[in-house]
Amino acid sequence: MNANEVAQLIKRYADDVKIVGARQVFAVTDKERYIEALTALRDNDLKHLTTITGVDRGENIDVIYHIHCGESLLNLKLSIPKTLLEIETVTDIFPGATLYERELMEMLGVQVKGHPDPRRLFLPDDWPAGKFPLRKEAKK
Amino acid sequence: MIEELGYVLAFFVFPGILFASAVGLLFAGIDRKLTGHMQHRIGPPIWQEFLDVGKLFGKEDITPAAANSFVFNCVPLLCFGAVMAVMLLLPINSSQPVLTSVADLIVIIYLLNIPAVCMMLAGYASGCPFGTIGSSRYMVQLFGYELAFIIAALAVAAKVGWSLSLSSIVSYQAQNGWMVSQAALIPAAIAILIAAQGKLLRVPFDIPEAESEIVHGSLTEYSGPKLAILRIAYNIELFVVAAVIVVLFFGGPVPHTIGGIYIPGVVSFLIKCFGIVVLSTVIRNIAARLRIDQALKFFWTFPTLLAAISLFLVAVT
Amino acid sequence: MTFIVPIGPQHPALEEPAHFRIEVKGEEIVGVDLRLGYNHKGIEQALSDRSYAHGLYLSARVCGICNSTHSLAFTRAVESVAGIECPDRARYIRVIDAELERIHSHLLWAGVAAHEIGFTTLFMLFWRDRELSLDMRELLFGQRIYASGTYLGGARVDIKEKDIPQLIRTLDKLEKSVKHYIDVCTSDRTIIARCSGVGILKKKDALELCAVGPTARASGVDLDIRRDDPYAAYGEIPFDVIVEQDGDVLAKVVVRLREILESIEIIRQAIDAMPKGAIRAKFPENVPENEAVGRTEAPRGELMYYVRSNGTNKPERVRIRTPSYANWPSAKPMLVGGTIADIPIVVASIDPCFSCTDRVTIIDTETGKSRIVTKEELRRLRK
Repeated sequence: MNANEVAQLIKRYADDVKIVGARQVFAVTDKERYIEALTALRDNDLKHLTTITGVDRGENIDVIYHIHCGESLLNLKLSIPKTLLEIETVTDIFPGATLYERELMEMLGVQVKGHPDPRRLFLPDDWPAGKFPLRKEAKK
Repeated sequence: MIEELGYVLAFFVFPGILFASAVGLLFAGIDRKLTGHMQHRIGPPIWQEFLDVGKLFGKEDITPAAANSFVFNCVPLLCFGAVMAVMLLLPINSSQPVLTSVADLIVIIYLLNIPAVCMMLAGYASGCPFGTIGSSRYMVQLFGYELAFIIAALAVAAKVGWSLSLSSIVSYQAQNGWMVSQAALIPAAIAILIAAQGKLLRVPFDIPEAESEIVHGSLTEYSGPKLAILRIAYNIELFVVAAVIVVLFFGGPVPHTIGGIYIPGVVSFLIKCFGIVVLSTVIRNIAARLRIDQALKFFWTFPTLLAAISLFLVAVT
Repeated sequence: MTFIVPIGPQHPALEEPAHFRIEVKGEEIVGVDLRLGYNHKGIEQALSDRSYAHGLYLSARVCGICNSTHSLAFTRAVESVAGIECPDRARYIRVIDAELERIHSHLLWAGVAAHEIGFTTLFMLFWRDRELSLDMRELLFGQRIYASGTYLGGARVDIKEKDIPQLIRTLDKLEKSVKHYIDVCTSDRTIIARCSGVGILKKKDALELCAVGPTARASGVDLDIRRDDPYAAYGEIPFDVIVEQDGDVLAKVVVRLREILESIEIIRQAIDAMPKGAIRAKFPENVPENEAVGRTEAPRGELMYYVRSNGTNKPERVRIRTPSYANWPSAKPMLVGGTIADIPIVVASIDPCFSCTDRVTIIDTETGKSRIVTKEELRRLRK
């Protein structure tokens, strides 16, 4: 699917849809619609989730789902306030998301509800709970 | 008195510990050098095995806490002792071995199994999962190659009128030429060479000690002097198995006179053993390692069948 | 009665530490649990503490074997963020750099795979030919391993005319060797016995678990970033994407070896088509606020860098998703149902790079000093 087709598809579930360059689409969604958005993508045979990125923006944490769409890349952003840092797992839509969600949980403290295996991934066993290395507070 | 001294000398010097160790380690070193050249590199010098074993003797002697220490410590000595016993039972210098009264083919085959049993005991006594897996693989492999080995040896015994004495086999070959030159026994020769590759745990049959899979298999927990003794024992076993094959099929210690030069029996024996070792090295370098189920299937079809064919042909003619 | 075999953290089959807890019944594997994290280096956090120019060199050091590709993906993302286009000649130099690295990586992998199945002779022969590819990297880019030829805004060094004949000669030699190896691997009985039908990853699993690279392409998934999202000069050089259908280890071997042949072809075409001109464009020190994604096809698969800038000379956030990281979930369906003997070759067939996988943060925050290592961590191998 090329960038225009992807932009068309995602318009229903996201706002602020931008096409950058020839092959990248950026869009911003919200907690109510992101599961539908990802399901719609999967149903259109776009099954390859490249990764999930978490970015600490101060008040919010941006969770970006990068989905490879054949000839283009969709970056679907979801902004969650730090006061209510929870999202639903997407492993039932994209089974390959398990490791990325585990990393999100341990590095940024995002609660991913319903994850089948919420263990630590990279941090050592004796890393203190509640310390999230990629948060802004973690920088000196 | 002289006779007892003769036995002591035989046990410690020739063809006992000193001779067997020197030749075994030398053959292992040449095998490594040859492997290096076949792999397009230089390889270690031929006395590398001596240096490695010497280094191991200088290391600390450790027994893991989880191991059954009695068995763990006995195994190297048992292994070494069994291999030495076979050396004394083989006709190396002449058609008479050092210990004549018990020189029986069946005894030798049993004694040659003791290093295998030792390795299995070592694996189980180590208290480590790699050891257990290595030992269980070894047991499976033993069922594979041992049958082919025994049937091939029996085919030779059948040829000599069902006599199990090695001296009579060597004498027969001195009169009638090598066993391998008899057409009926060629399949048995091939079978025993393949079975030997399995017995010596060399690729494609080094599954029980597959380094990239289970570290060192049964011997994973061994280090220092115990490993040194085991290593010497297995290198001597290389020589001994080649020696058994030479005695059975390639004439044994028969002196030759080639071009006016007299070659004593022991030298021709060593040269023939060396040839078998080189053949084993070549096979080891041109194949990948098989899985245990593939190896078992292979052993029970190809070599066993060949050996059985030989036995049948010898029995009916 | 199941029995747990620990593979790692230290094990001859693994070059880098990882911990597999394999549940076995006899020789058959019934369960796999993978623990990663032994190679933590703190790179994502470190990248946001360093300027873009430093970040370029740091990103190359995420992985020893795919360093060119890492710096290329980082550069691609950063150049997108800054809105800089690199000159034409530099794009072709980047292609040559990336393809030489692919050749080196696949030859190294082939040797390691041969060693895992106990075929040491083939291992030595592959690594003998690997020396040829390393010599080429040294000739063109000055270094054997960390030869990354990319720089922000262009290429780091120019390819000199006098080096090209030797490059062509070496490529011809490599091509002959690799064709011979493909024959060997597809016809030798012991290799086929160990690799065929082993570690099968079905196409459905590969798609669901988002596998990338030769691991996915050997299972019939047609995914190659060089063709799907062209970068550098790949859009102008025609090449074939090698896809096999069987999904077993032998298919992965064939895919990688044939990719070496494709890479040799690509380099030849790049040399012919390379225009003359400048090799570097000016790169600003401070990059305006923006975000972008740069992807490349590393030897192991799709490599992704996400960069967010904040107007200063340091990135706000860099996110790296390496191909080995994406391929780990696929290890489980490949291993379960197989035997212990197959573990090394199946794990090796993903071509895992633990260094690439574990590159997230471990900076101590409380004291602001660099982390004091605990005794538990000292017991684990750290790279």
